[in-house]
Amino acid sequence: MAKNITFIVTKDCQLACKYCYLVGKNVKERMSWDTAKAFIDYVLAREDDFREESVVWDFIGGEPFLEIELIDRICDYLKLRMFELNHHWFNSYRFSFSTNGINYHTPEVQRFIEKNRNHLSIGITIDGTERKHDLNRVWKQATPDENGIIHPSDRGSYRDVVRNIPLWLKQFPDAGTKVTISSPDIPYIRESVMHLYSLGIHQVNINAVFEDVWQEGDDLRFEEQLMLLADEIIDGGWYQDYACSFFSEHIGKPLDPVRDNQNWCGAGRMLSVDAAGNLYPCTRFAQYSLRSKKALVIGNIRDGIDQNLLRPFLTLDRTTQSPQKCLECDVASGCAWCQGENYDAAQTATVYQRSTAICLMHKARVRANNYYWNRLYRKLELEGRREEYERNKRSIAHQTC
Amino acid sequence: MMQYLVILLDDTSVAYCHCDNPHRERRLIGLDDLRAGILYAMKHNQMLQFVYPDYELPQEYLDAIDSIDHHDIVPFPMQGDVAVLNTVADAAEGAVCVLRTSLKELFAAEAAVADALRRVQRLNVVITDLDTFTDDHLAAYTSLLDRWAALLKEEYLAGRTPQLNLLTDRMMLSAPNHCNAGVENITLAPNGRFYLCPAFYYTHPEDSVDPADIPNAQLLRLDHAPLCRRCDAFHCRRCLWLNQRTTLEVNTPGRQQCIVAHTERNASRRLLAAIRSKASFMPEVDINQIDYIDPFDVKNEF
Repeated sequence: MAKNITFIVTKDCQLACKYCYLVGKNVKERMSWDTAKAFIDYVLAREDDFREESVVWDFIGGEPFLEIELIDRICDYLKLRMFELNHHWFNSYRFSFSTNGINYHTPEVQRFIEKNRNHLSIGITIDGTERKHDLNRVWKQATPDENGIIHPSDRGSYRDVVRNIPLWLKQFPDAGTKVTISSPDIPYIRESVMHLYSLGIHQVNINAVFEDVWQEGDDLRFEEQLMLLADEIIDGGWYQDYACSFFSEHIGKPLDPVRDNQNWCGAGRMLSVDAAGNLYPCTRFAQYSLRSKKALVIGNIRDGIDQNLLRPFLTLDRTTQSPQKCLECDVASGCAWCQGENYDAAQTATVYQRSTAICLMHKARVRANNYYWNRLYRKLELEGRREEYERNKRSIAHQTC
Repeated sequence: MMQYLVILLDDTSVAYCHCDNPHRERRLIGLDDLRAGILYAMKHNQMLQFVYPDYELPQEYLDAIDSIDHHDIVPFPMQGDVAVLNTVADAAEGAVCVLRTSLKELFAAEAAVADALRRVQRLNVVITDLDTFTDDHLAAYTSLLDRWAALLKEEYLAGRTPQLNLLTDRMMLSAPNHCNAGVENITLAPNGRFYLCPAFYYTHPEDSVDPADIPNAQLLRLDHAPLCRRCDAFHCRRCLWLNQRTTLEVNTPGRQQCIVAHTERNASRRLLAAIRSKASFMPEVDINQIDYIDPFDVKNEF
C-alpha cells in the first residue's frame, strides 16, 4: 500500500471552475521552499512512523504547474534525501499531478517531465466536449477580490487544454482523465465521454460531485444519459479498449455490516501540507476547501502530527458514520463519500456523519449500470465472445476524488 | 434514555468532574428556571442531581429543591450525598466523596489517599489534567495503584469494602458503566439552557442543546464509538468532553484516556485475583489478561 503525501503548493489557479470544491482559492497562499523543505525533512526523518511500502508524492493546487520551479526543487530534494537516508521509499516512489493542462506544453513543465519520466503520473482534467467543458471550466477573472479570492469569468478553457492532449497522450499513453459531473452537466455526459474516447483517452474516470447541488429530476436525466452512453459504448464496440468508471460490475449490491464495514475514503491515511506548514488528513480539510467548517489541522511542520487527531479517521468505519437508510440500502456497494464533504456538510463538527446528497444519483447510476452489463453480456453471449472478453477486459482504476 | 437531570444551581457550583469550573462570579440560576427544570425532570421521570455553590441558597430555592426527590453534590464541608473535597484529608468517616486532583498532586497524596480509604465508603478520584498523561507516567501510576490495591485487599479480606473508583469499580462490573452524558443524563445550567454536561457549559457556552433533539445524538451512544464499544475497561468515564478536547470527536477517546483506563483495569484485575486467592469474591466478574493498554493499537484485531 502506498502513502499519499500531498503538497498544496499554491491555492491559485488560472481557472475558476464553477463546480470546484475549493471555495477559497486565492493568489496569496503559495508554498515557500523553506516550508517544503521543512516538511520533507519532517517526513523522511520519521521512517518508522511512515511504514507504507511506497509513497506517492502528490502535488495539488489550485494549479500545481503554476509552481513548477518549486516543484522541481522539491522533487530533486526528495530524491536526494531518500537516497542519502537509504530510505525504503527511494526505490518505490511516484510524483503525481492532477493538472488543468494549460501549462503542460511549457518548456519548464516539459523539462520536469523529461527529468522524472519514470516516476511520474500526470492526469489532465478535460470534461468532454467543448460546450460541456466550458460550462464549468472557465478562466478566472483578471483580478481577484479584495481578499485575494479568485472568481470565474465567462471565458471557457477547452481550447487551451485540448491542444495539449496529444502531447500528453504521447508521453503517457495509458493516462486517464477525470471528469466531474454536477447538475448542469448531465445533458452532456454521453457526448462528452465519447468525445474523450475520440481524443484517444482510453480511461475516463468520472464521478458526480458529492456536494448537495442536485435538482429534482436530475437522477432520471442522469440515468437516461448513462443508458445512452451504454448503448453507444456497446454498439460501437468501445468497451473492448476503453473504460468509463461509471460502469462497473462491482457496484449496486447490498453490503454486509461486518464484512463490508471499511471506510471508503483514505483521509487520515494520507497527509497534506499547505503553504503555512499546517498538516491535514487530506487536502479537503484545508480551509480553502471548506464552505462552513473550520479547517481540521492535525499538526504542523514544527510540532509534528498530533496523533490523537488521527484516531477518529483511523477508526472510521462505514456503519458508524452511515444513516440507517444506507445500512439497509440494497444497492449500497460503490456508493462513495468524501470525508471532507461529510465534515463540511455535517450538523456538528464531525467526520462521523455521512452526507447522502448523492443518494438518488447513485441509485440512478446503478440502474444504468445494470442495463449496461445486461446488454453487454447478452451481446457477447450471442456472439460467443464472452469468455474472450472476460480474459481481456480493461480494469478501471478505483478513484473517488 | 435520559435518566438524570443535573442542575447547576450557580455559576460557581462546585466542579466534580474532569473540567475545572472557570466561573468566579456568582450567578444563581433563575428561580423560574429552577422550577421549570424540576418540572421537566418530573415529567420525564428523571432523577435530579443538584450541584451547589459554596454559599447558602435563598430559602425559596431550598424549598423548590425540597419539593422533589433528589441527590445533592456539594463542596466540602457542606453536607450532601456527595462531597467534593478540597483535600483528601477532609474525607470523613463513611463519606462518599470526590477528590479532584492533578496527576502530580495525586502521586504526592498517596499516603493521604491510603488513610482515607480506611475511613470512607467511597472515594472518587478525578484526574483533572488527564490529557497530560503520557506513556512515561505508566510505570509510576501502575505502582501507585498496586500499592493502594494491597491496602484494599486487606480491607476487603477484613470484611470492609471501601470503594476507590480507580480500582474497585471495574472489578464490580460486568458491563460498561460510562458517564453517558447526553444519553442518560443532561445538565441544566444557570443560564437556563441545557448542555451535554457541565464541562460543555464551562468551555462551550454557545453549544447548548435541546434534549429532545440533540444534533448527531447517535454519536454520544456507545454503539457509535468504534473503539469504546469493543473495550472492556468498563469503569472508564468515556468522557465526551475529554474526547472532543483531545480528538475533536465526541465518540473517539484520546490515547491518554485509554491508557489510564487500561492501567486501572489491569490493576483491578490483579486486585480481584489477589482477593480471590484468599476468599470467594464476585464470581460473576471476569477480567481477562490483555496485552495492550490502548485499544487503538489493536483496532484491526477487533
